[in-house]
Amino acid sequence: MKKKLVSLVLVATMALSMVACGNKAATNGDKASSGKAPEVATTKEDKTTLNIWMSSEPAHIDPALNSSVDGGCLAVNSFEGLMRYNDKGELEPACAESYEVSEDGLTYTFTMRDGLKWSNGDELTAKDFVYSWKRAASPEVAADYSYLAEIFPSFTYEEGLGDEDVVASEDGKTLTVKLGAVCPYFLDLCAFPFFFPVNEKAVEASKTDANDPVGAWANDAGDNFVCNGAYVLSSWNHDSDMTYVKNDNYWDADSVSVTTLNVMLTAENTVAYTAYQTGDLDFIDDIPVAEMEVAKTSPEYVVLDNLGTYYASFNYNTGLYKELGLDEEQAKVFRHAITLLIDRQYIIDTVGQNNQVAATSFIPAGCADGNGGEFKNKDYYSTDYDANVEEAKSLLESIGLFDTASDKLTKDISLTYLTNNSEGNVKIGECIQADLATVGINLTIDQEEWNVFQETRKAGKYDFAREGWIMDYNDPINMLEMYTTNSGNNNPQFGKDSSKKLDWSKYDSMIADIRKEADLAKRADLMHEAEDYLMDTWCIIPIYYYNDPYMIKDYVKGVYGTVEGMKYFYHATIN
Amino acid sequence: MTKYVVKRVLLAFVTIIVISLITFFAMNAIPGGPFNKEKAVNEAVIKQLEARYNLDKPLWEQYILYMKNLAHGDFGVSLKNNREISDIFAESFPISARIGLIAAVIAIISGIVLGSIAALMRNKWPDRVIIFFITIVTSMPSFVVATLLLYYFCMVLGMFQAFSAGQNMTLLPVIALSLSPMAYITRLTKTSMLDALGQDYIRTAKAKGVSPRKVIFVHGLRNALIPVITYVGPMIAGILTGSMVVEAIFNLGGLGSKFVSAITNRDYTLIMATTIFLATVMVIANLLTDIVYKIVDPRIKLD
Repeated sequence: MKKKLVSLVLVATMALSMVACGNKAATNGDKASSGKAPEVATTKEDKTTLNIWMSSEPAHIDPALNSSVDGGCLAVNSFEGLMRYNDKGELEPACAESYEVSEDGLTYTFTMRDGLKWSNGDELTAKDFVYSWKRAASPEVAADYSYLAEIFPSFTYEEGLGDEDVVASEDGKTLTVKLGAVCPYFLDLCAFPFFFPVNEKAVEASKTDANDPVGAWANDAGDNFVCNGAYVLSSWNHDSDMTYVKNDNYWDADSVSVTTLNVMLTAENTVAYTAYQTGDLDFIDDIPVAEMEVAKTSPEYVVLDNLGTYYASFNYNTGLYKELGLDEEQAKVFRHAITLLIDRQYIIDTVGQNNQVAATSFIPAGCADGNGGEFKNKDYYSTDYDANVEEAKSLLESIGLFDTASDKLTKDISLTYLTNNSEGNVKIGECIQADLATVGINLTIDQEEWNVFQETRKAGKYDFAREGWIMDYNDPINMLEMYTTNSGNNNPQFGKDSSKKLDWSKYDSMIADIRKEADLAKRADLMHEAEDYLMDTWCIIPIYYYNDPYMIKDYVKGVYGTVEGMKYFYHATIN
Repeated sequence: MTKYVVKRVLLAFVTIIVISLITFFAMNAIPGGPFNKEKAVNEAVIKQLEARYNLDKPLWEQYILYMKNLAHGDFGVSLKNNREISDIFAESFPISARIGLIAAVIAIISGIVLGSIAALMRNKWPDRVIIFFITIVTSMPSFVVATLLLYYFCMVLGMFQAFSAGQNMTLLPVIALSLSPMAYITRLTKTSMLDALGQDYIRTAKAKGVSPRKVIFVHGLRNALIPVITYVGPMIAGILTGSMVVEAIFNLGGLGSKFVSAITNRDYTLIMATTIFLATVMVIANLLTDIVYKIVDPRIKLD
């Protein structure tokens, strides 16, 4: 709450000051007091240093332990996996020079690039990958992303990864990987931080005692921080800044022209925005909502596609339906009506403000189907808002809650929308509140602190709550599998009440089938079926597809990002 | 005096233990946990983490274990990033303390000087100017001051860099931190100085022909300082341990922001450490305040 207040006041004072100075500039044309950095900064004197901001201090920069996008950005610039993304968003071999896939799609054989080295000069071989993957998947390390190791047949949460799935040749030149099922996104995973190599010697040396399975090697800059990517960490002033310098032992070091990356660490996007305006930062990964309107007109404003959906979800088992006298089928119609009542474009225009696309499906537009095409092939409802409202009214009438003749509800409907107390989420809640009020439904917004919110939602103590998901890798299964009965993200509580008619074990088995399916076309069909089954509950209410705005000075070229939100700085040049 | 100090130190230990007990059970009572993520982490992984950090044991056992380690000087590791809490304190407290100490000294000196001037020149223009100034400062919270400073000095005037890797700003955060306590000390000094100057002993001193300077400094100011000291003790403790807002705006990486982030993250070990640390600093500050009372005014009985 306090933090929110702080940023509000920050924004307000900045805006006020801008107005004040804008006037002054208009009268005397004095550039220094125009409240903006010199606008014609098309060149920068220091061609080798880039000052960037992504977020606050990452919890971990150990690629196995990191689970944040900003931490992932640091990882992809300082470590490198078997594969990497180029500036077109395509995968290309990185630590691997080439790879072969077996006929059945289950065995990948990677040939390692010659002369790979760690930042400390040690030789890097396929054996390092075996060590790193086993470490990342081990129960002792207990990484947030352990679930990614489920692609290996020998993996269990209790024992970790067995010896037989990932094998390095004696000479360390080849790495053979066996998968449990066809995995169309396996090469994407090879470019994902969880699967990056870490240096065994450095990791083991940094373990302070037997109770420390992780090691402190990536807690600070220093000799223990050994990496294999473009930049190596040279200093870390915690909660303030980090400095990365070029790693001369990186195989692609010749194409790295920016030799220093200074990373600002702050949670306050208004502070970062100020530093960007003064020219002390060259790149900011987020823009304060209050500044968005101005920022959007700048040529330095960039929006990337992002794979993710902002949505809301209904609790399948909430007592609300009983209160309204609705049976299971009627409850579904009720949720369908609510879905139609939301004016998505208004939310985008007033809160999102980044020209996001209104969502009409759970799996975001742009997501691959694993078979060479785009997954999204239908809209679950129209984007014509006026028509939607009419349809919603008739749906409500069909379950006896609305009377079209008098254009009024037949009984009072009150429900609660649960969200965490961050500004944008609450504003979206208010938009939904206004939308539902047009038919007379009374929505109360319940704000909780983020951590409490997680618990409440997980325990199913809500009617209707905000949700959001940015995909870890480009495959629909990443989003579909979060709604299996025992998933920790099953916030709608599907299949958790045995008295209900809804057979959720069917969904569970659909997901299991998708995981096993070797025919990629059939797999895509199964995923469509699963999405249909999920959407048919009308518990999932998509709002918009995420996108990813950032600002970058026009003298910086060659910075690019992926749909998963990672930003790559190592091929940047400064004019 | 020694007996008094020993007694107070022993009492301080009891206070800190009580505070640690309350904090420990209160933080465990709030919903949420350190391993909550928007993308739920697998149950098996959470169990592993809970076992690693002893969170699977009964609460009272956790508490005893924690206090036992604390007695050996071991604050444990942060549940968020697995870093030693002693390292976190070693790097962030000096940052906060340095800025805070400078700010406190400036606030105390300028506050007393301004307050004395205002009292001595009551209702003349210097008094009016000072009171006008401190009224403005008092009504501006530190985050407004800090934002304005950042805006004018970094953006408009370009005198300082809003971000420079490896370098912390000193001047602007010191100003932001010192203004509000300075204003308060000015007001306190003025009021109690006026009060002291009206006392019988001042008249007596004047009648005896003591020089005006001595009357003001030895008899007036010294007595006027008692309420100021009462305020300054806890103020220093607060300012040394950092301000979340000022540190956030000037990107300082001090201790102040940890108090809040530890709670949002449910970083239990860091919550305990920050609370116990703040409590200790407060207790010491209060003890020192009492001792200074005795020095300034020998009439005060400590027991």
